[in-house]
Amino acid sequence: MRRSVLVVEDDQDLSSLLEMVLADAGHRVRTAPDGRAALAAVAEEMPGVILLDMRMPVMNGWEFAREFRARYGRACPIVVVTAAENARLRAEEIGAEDWLAKPFDLDDVLYTVERQLAGGDEGGAPTRSLH
Amino acid sequence: MAAYALVSLLWIAFSDALLVHLVPDPVLRARAQTVKGAFFVVVTSALLLELIRRGDLGLRTLGAEVRATVDSMVDAVLLVDEEGRIVETNRAAVELLGVAAKEDLLVPLRDWGRRFDLRYLDGTPVPYDRYAAVRALAGERIKAYDAMARRADGTDVYFSVSAAPVEGAGHRRLAVAVLRDVTAARRLDEMREEFLATAAHEFKTPLAVVKAYAQLMQKRAPGDPGLTVIQRQVDRLNRLVQHLLDTSRLRLQPGEGRRDTFDVSSLVAEAIEEARPSTPGHALEAEAPAPAVVHADRERILRVLTSLLDNAIRFSPAGGPVHVRVETQDGEVVVSVADHGLGIPPERQPRIFERYYRAHAGTDQDYGGLGLGLDMSREIVTRHGGRMWFESVPGQGSTFHFSLPLAAQEAS
Repeated sequence: MRRSVLVVEDDQDLSSLLEMVLADAGHRVRTAPDGRAALAAVAEEMPGVILLDMRMPVMNGWEFAREFRARYGRACPIVVVTAAENARLRAEEIGAEDWLAKPFDLDDVLYTVERQLAGGDEGGAPTRSLH
Repeated sequence: MAAYALVSLLWIAFSDALLVHLVPDPVLRARAQTVKGAFFVVVTSALLLELIRRGDLGLRTLGAEVRATVDSMVDAVLLVDEEGRIVETNRAAVELLGVAAKEDLLVPLRDWGRRFDLRYLDGTPVPYDRYAAVRALAGERIKAYDAMARRADGTDVYFSVSAAPVEGAGHRRLAVAVLRDVTAARRLDEMREEFLATAAHEFKTPLAVVKAYAQLMQKRAPGDPGLTVIQRQVDRLNRLVQHLLDTSRLRLQPGEGRRDTFDVSSLVAEAIEEARPSTPGHALEAEAPAPAVVHADRERILRVLTSLLDNAIRFSPAGGPVHVRVETQDGEVVVSVADHGLGIPPERQPRIFERYYRAHAGTDQDYGGLGLGLDMSREIVTRHGGRMWFESVPGQGSTFHFSLPLAAQEAS
């Protein structure tokens, strides 16, 4: 079975939109409204890629990333979805494989997810430009 | 003094005449004259002593008053002698730096700077020869600039420093430095910037939702131009929000920022490609004869370019060419963005780099904007060791230039 995409996002509208778009493209999508729910979803089944919002209630993206790495290492790539001024910096901060800056292009979302599912870049460090 | 001289004169002139009348016997008179002379010397000496004592007391009172004045000043004062030692200070300085007593501050200025970790606001240490007091010793008058120091308790304090040379006694050169505590104002600034950053950040999630849904609808039912407009306007709103975020981040995080090595010419091409779809009425052209590699924060330089293009487009509402030229000369690259638009009225030109200032505000040529782009752009360019300048003629258009050091040059 194809590995799933885990969308960790507290905004319900954004979360269901990402779910819809990714499902339309043939991905199996699971969602979690915060870091803690995401950890539970990961424990249940390791996804192929995690789309991670940073500012969330209960457990934010930083805490989730730290906890995830501690438990599973680099078992699955993390793509930071952030409204920060500099998305790349944010990704580097938590050692994420890639990033999407809000507001994003849907094509970018699909491209990034496909790329990370396929194994990402050599070395795993984010290298592409924001634009 | 004059009264004393007059009395003495009269005494000398008439006392002898008086004595002749009072003491007829010449032997007795001679003795009386000796006594009189001695009496005169004693009285005048006493009078002179008293006068000197009073003058000295006056001077000392003045000295004490000056010292008390300096001590009661709200601003911290440091008096530095020719050898660079702090020789006098006041209570405000003791409080500003959180030390126990004035004596803790009466040290060589160099040690003082080291102990309190004197820095510019971006965190870089102030070199000793740039200390306000040191420059003042060389005869310069230093207008207020901002700096920070670490108090004895480890907290940071922000102040504005000014200094001036003082001509001391016996041509001894001194310098007086005045440190005004601006910590409270600075904290308020930080809170405002933090708020701006949070607000801008909060705007982005709804923008992301709107944009993505518009894209999704367009994918499912292509052909509705309204959906393209929504996306374009979301992008525009996002740029404004990004400007707010950028300016506040720049203020909150002074310093160098990240560095990438990249070609400015290709970045110009990228900025133009990005701007083109939103403005069919303008002919955006780039002229970049050779690659110009710099070592800079790519995202931020892109924002400078986007901001200049944005202005060029916005303030040439009739359309026309917008020309971007990339030139390298003397180890730097100069990027120029020229439009044939409204131009800036000469009387408003001096203020256009001010934050929040909008040169066309309140005129019939107000085409919007937040008044942040140029301020932000110049800040970014300056932090990269570059400059920013412009020429503008009302009715003919404006050209904005910025320079950046070339990578090879920087490394050498």
